[in-house]
Amino acid sequence: MTDIQVRLSACFANVFPDLKPDEIPQASQESLAAWDSVAHITLLSAIAEEFQCEMDEEFLETLTSYKRIVEYVEAGSAKS
Amino acid sequence: MELTLNQALATLRRQRELVSRCEIFLVCGFQPLHLATFLKAHFALRWPDRAADVREGLYGDLDGTLASAAKSSATAAAVVIEWGDLDSRLSFRSAGGWGLSAEQDILANCRGRWAKILERLKDLASRMPVALVLPTLPIPLFGHTAGCQMGAAEAELGKYAAIFLADAARLSNVSILHPSHLGRLSPEVSRRDPNMELAAGFPYSLGHASVLAHQLVQLLCPLSPMKGLITDLDDTMWSGIVGEVGAQAVTWSLSEHSQIHGLYQQELRHLSEIGVLLAIASKNEMPVVEEALRREDLYVPGTAFFPVKASWGPKSQAIAEILRVWNIGPESVVFVDDSPMELEEVRTAFPAMTCLHFPKRNSAKAIELFEQLRDLFGKPAVHPEDALRQSSIRAAEQIKEAGGQQPGSDFVRALQGKLTFDARKDGSNKRLLELINKTNQFNLNGVRINDGEWLRHLEDETGFAVGVAYEDRFGPLGVIGVMAGRQNEGVVEVTSWVLSCRAFSRRIEHHMIEYLFQRRGATAIRLAFKPTGRNGPFQEFLRSMGVENGAAGDLEQQALRKPDDLPHEVRTLEND
Repeated sequence: MTDIQVRLSACFANVFPDLKPDEIPQASQESLAAWDSVAHITLLSAIAEEFQCEMDEEFLETLTSYKRIVEYVEAGSAKS
Repeated sequence: MELTLNQALATLRRQRELVSRCEIFLVCGFQPLHLATFLKAHFALRWPDRAADVREGLYGDLDGTLASAAKSSATAAAVVIEWGDLDSRLSFRSAGGWGLSAEQDILANCRGRWAKILERLKDLASRMPVALVLPTLPIPLFGHTAGCQMGAAEAELGKYAAIFLADAARLSNVSILHPSHLGRLSPEVSRRDPNMELAAGFPYSLGHASVLAHQLVQLLCPLSPMKGLITDLDDTMWSGIVGEVGAQAVTWSLSEHSQIHGLYQQELRHLSEIGVLLAIASKNEMPVVEEALRREDLYVPGTAFFPVKASWGPKSQAIAEILRVWNIGPESVVFVDDSPMELEEVRTAFPAMTCLHFPKRNSAKAIELFEQLRDLFGKPAVHPEDALRQSSIRAAEQIKEAGGQQPGSDFVRALQGKLTFDARKDGSNKRLLELINKTNQFNLNGVRINDGEWLRHLEDETGFAVGVAYEDRFGPLGVIGVMAGRQNEGVVEVTSWVLSCRAFSRRIEHHMIEYLFQRRGATAIRLAFKPTGRNGPFQEFLRSMGVENGAAGDLEQQALRKPDDLPHEVRTLEND
């Protein structure tokens, strides 16, 4: 796991406390009932806080899985 | 304390298995989102063994949520109002409302809305404690002036808010977050998060939400105030060494460049008036101190201090004697001295005591000290008993001198004591709850109760609560005892029972048992007893009543003998 993945997993674990650690990489809005609109905002806010970044509003609706969020944060990290 | 969102979420994750839970209603017109998360997390930090479930209302419906909260089973409510709740045209999520032509309509609407909110607030506060926050965000772009100039319409909006504030502040059970205090913790410029407001209907930055939630918890679950202050004299209560310059030459005035000591005296007088015990521990000769304390130009009269200890021994010895007379623990006491060495000596002897330095040469630091004292001793309400505390401790010393530590029955009878048992259920009588929550020694179980739980208890038909007031020939002590619980026919379960340490050794506790047997018709008494580290006097009482198993939980108390030969005259007040 990269440092980014470790920190993202911690955010996921905080927002979805019932998720087991090995389930986090597969988590998505489709597969996880607890990932509703409130959880979505909470998750993205927690991630923005963790990585000290602002989420680009146009991507908010597309960040619907752990995998996509990893890609988004890694891309942002590479840019900066 | 400010939490990050991730810290808050991690705190809640650790807490989710807790069985003991309480319900708080978060009343706001915006999406509660992170404010609810922070509220739960700060509550968890305040009460680690208890989790808060936060109930919420519908977006944009402050009125409806206020009404729902008032009917709910919640035991506390946090009401957070923003300008958009007064008129949706004052919210960033609503467009088309800022024109000059709309000003008068907005003003009229807001005026009516405050009045309606006040009525709802009264209903809510009749059922639970309410922490109230008035708009923390600036009024958005209202008026025709440049940003540096306040327009008349904006000032008018502020006036309506101020009128509402003054009315709300007078309501029992309502605590209002002080805007200046909030301003120190969360500067206005960093409070708003427009992105989140437009995207999700949550207007606050994470930092502001965290601070706000922390302050809401502080208002709903205030820390117990300190009970006593012990002060040094020389270069603390006045400028100068009284033993060297004499009683008439020590100063505390602006003209003598010693105003900061005068301000300290003023603060001490204020503390005395709200019921804080004051005493003196000074390295001096007693006659010199007594002469100085007789000066009529002191801002705090010398009689406000009891005991006054002046000697050349270690201050910790004098303080030990003061604590004995006050009969309170060092954790409830603040010691103020200008000497770091004296503070260290006392701190070493009493690690639990709050020892504060008086910065005699730094006025700014001194004012910080006064503010700290306000925070340490501040209380939501002042009761008649607060005015009696100092004199009743003097009386207790007189009684001890006359009758010894454990006065005999003849002596107690000669006190000509009168007890009033007031069993009327009155939610606005805050004294009973205050006594339950601050008494440590004669305390059945140390369980603390919040205002909402207390109001629910009083609503319960089987619930009872009786306050006990006492007076004798040495003067009144006010309400010094509380017993509360539930009664099912002859079985009385006592869940709270406290007696102020000022009322020990007068057999009042025996009268309270008698009350259960005689007035409430108890055939069996069950005590929800729990030993705590500090309720030794209660455990001793149980042993004196023939109950040896002080370590047990609930006790079936057929063993409690019906007390006889009780010394005091009793009257009882019941609901009509």
